[in-house]
Amino acid sequence: MAHAGADNPIPPGSAPRRMSSGMRLLLGNEFGLAVLILLTVAVFALTLDGFTSPFSIYTIGRQIGIDTMIGLAMMAVIVTGGLDLSVGAIGVCSAMLFGWLMQVMGVPVPVAVPVAVLFGASLGFVNGFTVVMSGVHSFIITLASMSIFFGVMIFLTRAAAFNGLPPQVQAFGKMRVLPGISPLLLIAVAVCAALVVFYRYSTLGRQMLAAGANARAAELSGIRTGRVIVACHMLTGLLAAIAGLMVTARTGAAVPSMAGQLGQDWLLPAFLAPVLGGTLLSGGRVSVIGTLLGATFINIMTSGLLLMRVGEFWILAFLGVMLLIAVLADRTRQVFLTSRGMI
Amino acid sequence: MAATRDSALTRAFDNDWIGPGLVSLIAVVAISLAQPAFLSPFNIFVLMSAISVNMVIALGQLVIIGLGQMNLALGSIGGLVAISFVGVIERYGIPVPLALAFALGIGIAAGMSGGYIIARTMISAFIITLAGLQIFKGINLGITEAQPFYGVPEAVKAFGQASVIGPLPWLMVPMMICSVAMWYLFNRMRIGRHILAMGSNPHAAELSGIDANATIIWAHGISGLLAAIAGLMLVARLQIGQPTIGDDWLISSFAAPVIGGAVLTGGRVSVAGTFFGVVIIAIITQGLVMFNIDPFVVQIVLGALILWAVAVNRLREMRIARVQARGAGA
Repeated sequence: MAHAGADNPIPPGSAPRRMSSGMRLLLGNEFGLAVLILLTVAVFALTLDGFTSPFSIYTIGRQIGIDTMIGLAMMAVIVTGGLDLSVGAIGVCSAMLFGWLMQVMGVPVPVAVPVAVLFGASLGFVNGFTVVMSGVHSFIITLASMSIFFGVMIFLTRAAAFNGLPPQVQAFGKMRVLPGISPLLLIAVAVCAALVVFYRYSTLGRQMLAAGANARAAELSGIRTGRVIVACHMLTGLLAAIAGLMVTARTGAAVPSMAGQLGQDWLLPAFLAPVLGGTLLSGGRVSVIGTLLGATFINIMTSGLLLMRVGEFWILAFLGVMLLIAVLADRTRQVFLTSRGMI
Repeated sequence: MAATRDSALTRAFDNDWIGPGLVSLIAVVAISLAQPAFLSPFNIFVLMSAISVNMVIALGQLVIIGLGQMNLALGSIGGLVAISFVGVIERYGIPVPLALAFALGIGIAAGMSGGYIIARTMISAFIITLAGLQIFKGINLGITEAQPFYGVPEAVKAFGQASVIGPLPWLMVPMMICSVAMWYLFNRMRIGRHILAMGSNPHAAELSGIDANATIIWAHGISGLLAAIAGLMLVARLQIGQPTIGDDWLISSFAAPVIGGAVLTGGRVSVAGTFFGVVIIAIITQGLVMFNIDPFVVQIVLGALILWAVAVNRLREMRIARVQARGAGA
């Protein structure tokens, strides 16, 4: 992990170091978010009719699964201090390939899933490779690639949806594993668990965090940061593809407009969940569980507001305000901790 | 001999707008040779209208690029301004000049509020303007419920359709005023110098006494104002207060300045280069239509253009650095 020298000036957004684990837990985003989620659920459950209905719980959970996956996809590249505007485009492209493979080529589902997911990873590779080779910030590279990926997809599909998918796909999207639990949520939780292990115990995962915290130090200690950054982008592509397939399962069709124009509609959930969860935009620190909690909080608020008959359009504005509050709260906490000498 | 040629070449390379200017010229000649209808008055009118609007959009992003930041909310500010303008006229019967002032005020306020948060918290402009994008778009859709306002006054409609002389649309006038104003701002005004200084080295700029907060807030205010003007020009052009105005500004607002040689890390912009960037994009888009090429290809071409421009800018930077190093050694 990152080495923060005790006498170095603290870079904005470095992780807390000299703190007891109990204190760290209390001041961490995860704990605060968990409390906030419990409070919100309690308030909504008591005041809103239908919030705790099995159907409501089921749909909220399913959407939490999808938003978590979108958030994790962005988180995987935020680690490096970069970003990927093309997550939505990659997700849609993978979903459309998934649909094409099954509907046009007659490929069975168990084959189409890994192919589509690997395709997402390869689009991520294109992003990462271009970023590393050109030395240009990932913002502008992925801005261009989102236009190209989405344009090629729309050109090839003629903007038409694949809605003759095998019945298993739709059945999966409507399935209930336990009463009120969608398999999509379970997939997201499983991926979270895998990522926690990956970042904590695998060499590559630790190298990603090190390269993100301080690229130069990482390079000096023998990490080939270029390769690691490419790997981060590939992980982003892979997770975005899984998110795309999950949306396809929920809708029962692969639709080119499922993430809006150029896939831009995914950008807000992609940043909101990790930022709420405490992932630092400057890189070097991830919070997988925080991202899951962030996505959970967003969806509980959204469905609560919908039940209160707040128009769905106003909820868009509300989500933007929430992103502002999240980053402001994060900054305030950092200032507070710094002033108390806790980081 | 070699030295003079080299320096002339370097100077040409150093000039941000020569390259894109030449490309635009060649593209116009090539397309009009292949397809004479390209230079028909009607086509020129359509082309110039598109260029006019897109130039103002690009200028709105250019200010922020000069500062070394980015403004994702540009399009959503333009859209909110557009529907507010038509909305207050349709719902409350407010006279056009008043509605204009109100709409431009919204643009400036929206930009400045984002700039204020960025300046005060030093959180990355990306994330603040992403939040802004969502908020302004949400307000836009909350007001309109995704339905357009149709009550555009006749005078405004006429402005979007009329030509000054021949095939040159009236829409060119605000575009030219904005371009000259921005050129003047960057080259002659203190605020413009401060923006570029902040963009090339914020630390040095602050040490030399530049008020960083004020500069950031002003830059975002100007960006919001330009977004508002572009939004109003689109209302005149489309003859309708569309809530979707601004949805597709993001890519082209970056593409044009980058093609025009702007350095994305800030500190270096070119109004003339940006103009030719806009022209190149417009010609290519229009050319694809003329040759009956799938309009979906435009998206791919735009993305490729950005990559191409980024690569050219990198090469040019490296070349200039090399020549300068050689000059220093001699």
